[in-house]
Amino acid sequence: MTTRFRARQAWTIATLEMRRAFFSKRAFWVYLLAFFPAFIFIGHGVSLQWQIKRFNARGKVAPAIIDSFKPGMTEREIIALAGNPQSDHEYTRRQREDDDEDESTGKRVIVEKTLHIRFLEYWDGNRRSYLRFENGVLKSARTRNPFDFQEDRSVYAGVFQLFYLRLAIFFGCLGIFMNLFRGEMLDKTLHFWFLAPARREVLLVGKYLAGLTASSVIFTSGALLSFFAVLWPHSGMEVQAFWQGPGVEHMLRYALAAALGCVGYGSVFLAAGLLLRNPIIPAAVLLVWEGINGFLPDILQKLSVLYYLQSLCPVPAPLESDTPALLKLILAPAAPASPWLAVPGLLVVTVLVLWAAAQAVKRLEINYSTE
Amino acid sequence: MSGYEIVFEDVSKFYGEVLGVNRVNLNVPPGITSLVGPNGSGKTTLMNLMCGLIHPDRGAISVRGLSPRDPEHMMRITGYATQFDAAPRWATGFDFVTTALLLFGYSRKEAERKAWKAIEQVNLTDAATRKVAGYSKGMRQRIRLAQAIAHDPQVLVLDEPLNGLDPLVRAETIALFRQFAAEGRHVILSSHVLQEVDVISDQVILIANGMIVAEGEIRGVRDEISEHPSQFIIRCRDASRIASLLFNEEHVTEVRLNDDRLGLLVLTRNREEFSRALSRIALAGHDIDGVIPADENVDALYEYLIGGAR
Repeated sequence: MTTRFRARQAWTIATLEMRRAFFSKRAFWVYLLAFFPAFIFIGHGVSLQWQIKRFNARGKVAPAIIDSFKPGMTEREIIALAGNPQSDHEYTRRQREDDDEDESTGKRVIVEKTLHIRFLEYWDGNRRSYLRFENGVLKSARTRNPFDFQEDRSVYAGVFQLFYLRLAIFFGCLGIFMNLFRGEMLDKTLHFWFLAPARREVLLVGKYLAGLTASSVIFTSGALLSFFAVLWPHSGMEVQAFWQGPGVEHMLRYALAAALGCVGYGSVFLAAGLLLRNPIIPAAVLLVWEGINGFLPDILQKLSVLYYLQSLCPVPAPLESDTPALLKLILAPAAPASPWLAVPGLLVVTVLVLWAAAQAVKRLEINYSTE
Repeated sequence: MSGYEIVFEDVSKFYGEVLGVNRVNLNVPPGITSLVGPNGSGKTTLMNLMCGLIHPDRGAISVRGLSPRDPEHMMRITGYATQFDAAPRWATGFDFVTTALLLFGYSRKEAERKAWKAIEQVNLTDAATRKVAGYSKGMRQRIRLAQAIAHDPQVLVLDEPLNGLDPLVRAETIALFRQFAAEGRHVILSSHVLQEVDVISDQVILIANGMIVAEGEIRGVRDEISEHPSQFIIRCRDASRIASLLFNEEHVTEVRLNDDRLGLLVLTRNREEFSRALSRIALAGHDIDGVIPADENVDALYEYLIGGAR
C-alpha cells in the first residue's frame, strides 16, 4: 500500500464521517454556540438602526449643547438650553437616612427622605447624552457614540477571545471530536471502521479530518459572521477605511485563530476520547490548564492551545478597570508568541498529541459490553 | 504457520480479571467450521481475536499467514458479520454495503457493482433501497452478511448468522456458505443452536468457559473422546435376552431396558467390538429390528462434553 493510497483512504473516511460530524443530532448545540454571538450582534445592529431612525425623527441638538452639560445644572436650565429630550423617565425613591429613638415614647423613629430621579436623553446625530438628575439637579452625564468603531472592534476582540476561544471552540471541539471514537463505541458501530482494510492510524487521520473540517467550517463561519455583524451598522466611510487598512488582515487572523483552535483542541479531545470514557474529566482538566496558563513557567505555557491562539488575535481583549485582579490574571494572555512561532508551534503540539492518539487507537479494542 | 489455515497458538484473552479464552490452540483448515458453545463461552471472543477487534494477552494468531494486527492486509481477505448493526440511521442497505466497499479503494462505480452483486447473493434486492433502520431482524442479518461477502473474502467470519432467518432464507444462506467452502475458502460461524451446525459444518470447535473442549469433524471429535461410552438404541423383540448377552461383553458398560421391553439402550467403550457382538447375536437367531446411534448428533456430544457448563 502506498502513501498515496492511504491518503485517499483517509479522505474517503473523512468524507463518510463528515455527514455525521455536520448533521448528527449531537452537533446542533455546536451550531448554537458558534452562531450565538452573531445573532446578538445582528440583533444589536438592528435595534441600533431603529433607535437612530427614531432619534433623528424626534430631532437633534447641536453637538456644542451636549458638550455644555455639566453636573449641578438644573432640569429647567437643561431643557431651556436643549429643548425637549429624546426620552424622559422619572421615578421617586424613598431613601432611609437615619434611625432615631423618640425620648418621650422610647420608640424607634425612621427618618426617610424622598429622592426624585429623572433621566433625560439627547441626541446630536452622532452621540447620545444620558443625563441623570436627583431632585432636579444634574448628577451625571454620560455621552457616548453608539457607533464607536474602535469600541466595537474592541468588543468583538473580547467576544472572540473570551467566548469563542475559551468557550465555544473549546466545548464545540469537545462535542465533535470526543464523539468520533467514544460516540461510536457507545453506538456500538466502531467495529465498522475497524473491520475495514485500513491502518488504525489512517482511520484516526480520516476521522480527525472530518471533525476538523466540520468544526473549522462551523466556528470560522460563526466568528466571521459575528465580525461582519459588528461592522455592518457602521458608516460606509469607516468600514471602507477599515477594509483598505488592516481589515482584511484582521479578518484572516480571526479566521486563522478559529481554525487553529479547532486544530489544537480537536487533537486534544480526539486523544482524550480514545484514552478516557468520561468527557467531563478531560474538559475540566484542560479548562483549568488553559486558565492557569499565564501562571505557568515558559516551557509549560507552550503546551497550551490558548497561548498560541491569543498571539494570533489582532486586537487585545478589553479588560475593564473593575475586573477582579485574579480574573484579570486568568484572562490576560500569557507572554505572547510571535505569530510566526504561534502557527508552527501549535501544529507541533497537535502532531505530538495526534501521535499519542495513534498509539492509543492501535491498542483500542472493541468491547461494547463494558461501555 | 501454514498460509491457508487459521492458526491460534496458545492464545489467551482476559477482560480485566474475567476470562475470555484460555490457552487456545487451533488449526482451522478451509471449509465450514462451527464454533459451538453456550452464551458467554468465548465464541465471539475467538471471532473478535481472529479479526483484530481485540488483541490476545498471550499467544499469536495467524489468518492465512496474516496477522490480525495488520488490518490493512488481513481485512482484504476477511469479511466479518458481527452481531451488531453498524449502519448509520440514514443509510439504505445499498448505501451501507457500498460505503464499506469504498474503504477498500474501489471506485464508486465498482463499489456499487459489487454491492448489488452481494445484495443479490443474500436475496435482499427488493429492500436494498430502503433504510436499514426499518429492516426486520432477518433482513439486518442478511445485509450484514452482504457487507461481509461483498469484497469476495477468502475468510468469512459470521457471528450467529442464522439467527432470525426464516426457513427458506436459512436454506439459501446455508447454500451460500457451502458454495464459499467449496471454493476453498474459510467459513467460520458461531452458534448455540446445535442442530443447525450439525448438518452444515465440516468442522466443529466446541468451546466452554473459554476453553476448547474438542475440535475436528463431528465424528472425529466423537472418536477422540474414547473414554466416553458410545450410546446405541436397539429395537428388538427379545430385549431382556439380548441385554443379558450384551452385558457379558467386556466393552459394554451399561445396558438399560425400555419400559415396553421392546428396546434397550447400550453404552459401549468400543464401537467396533459392539458391532461384532451385535452380528454374533443376530446370527444366533435373535431378532434385531434396528440399531440407532443415540449420541451421534452434536446435542448428545455437547451434552457430554460441556455438561454442567451449559
